[in-house]
Amino acid sequence: MMTVSFALLAVASLLLWRRVQWAWTLVVAALVLGIVIFVRDVDFATNLGIQL
Amino acid sequence: MRDDGILSPESARVLNFLGLLAMVGVLVGAYIYEFSYRELPCTLCQLQRLAMVAVAFGAAMNVMLGPSPRHYGVCLVSAVFGGAISVRQTLLHINPYFDTASGQPALEATTNPPFGEAVMGLHLYVWGVVLFSTVILAVGVVQLFRSQFVGAPQEPDRLARLAATAVGLLFVVAALETLTTFLECGFADCPNDGGWNWWILR
Repeated sequence: MMTVSFALLAVASLLLWRRVQWAWTLVVAALVLGIVIFVRDVDFATNLGIQL
Repeated sequence: MRDDGILSPESARVLNFLGLLAMVGVLVGAYIYEFSYRELPCTLCQLQRLAMVAVAFGAAMNVMLGPSPRHYGVCLVSAVFGGAISVRQTLLHINPYFDTASGQPALEATTNPPFGEAVMGLHLYVWGVVLFSTVILAVGVVQLFRSQFVGAPQEPDRLARLAATAVGLLFVVAALETLTTFLECGFADCPNDGGWNWWILR
């Protein structure tokens, strides 16, 4: 998934090169993917359940 | 809209270009670190790099398309995301009740070694906290000057070459990150064990 996130940013950069106005939506998609990766990595249920 | 006249659109584009250069410089520095110490980035490290590229993208939009609150918004959202990741990683190494070796919480206090080598006394994730906080502060201050949002956003001017350079740099960095992330992780989750453990070699 991380590879896909970076690929989205690379494609967004190419689109920005062409002055495509909606290129930023791909960046938002990459960030959303990043949030999903982060939440999976943190494993809130296990961590908070024991630490609190 | 009243023109406060302090920051022209052209000056704002130059400022954003400098900001983009700084972010690209940090990412290149991370590569130098990675290959010098033969230390592949962990998942949280990769996410911070993702946020840095996204911050640079917001700055590149300002350079390419002209300053806009939306473009600064991309910078801010990305910096908040990156800041959350770097704070999380910093806290992991402060918290004695988390075993970083197993990636699981510990019931007894344990010694948490930091991830990777320190650079100028601070580890990279602590530098991440400093960097993303600075971005949030800088973007907040620059947005105070409304005069940069006045005028035609895409006028052909001497900054066109600067804009092309900025976006070109960004594309090279993003493409390089895509390639090295693929070589490290493939399309699966990235490993958290550090070292020189390339997916392509496993």
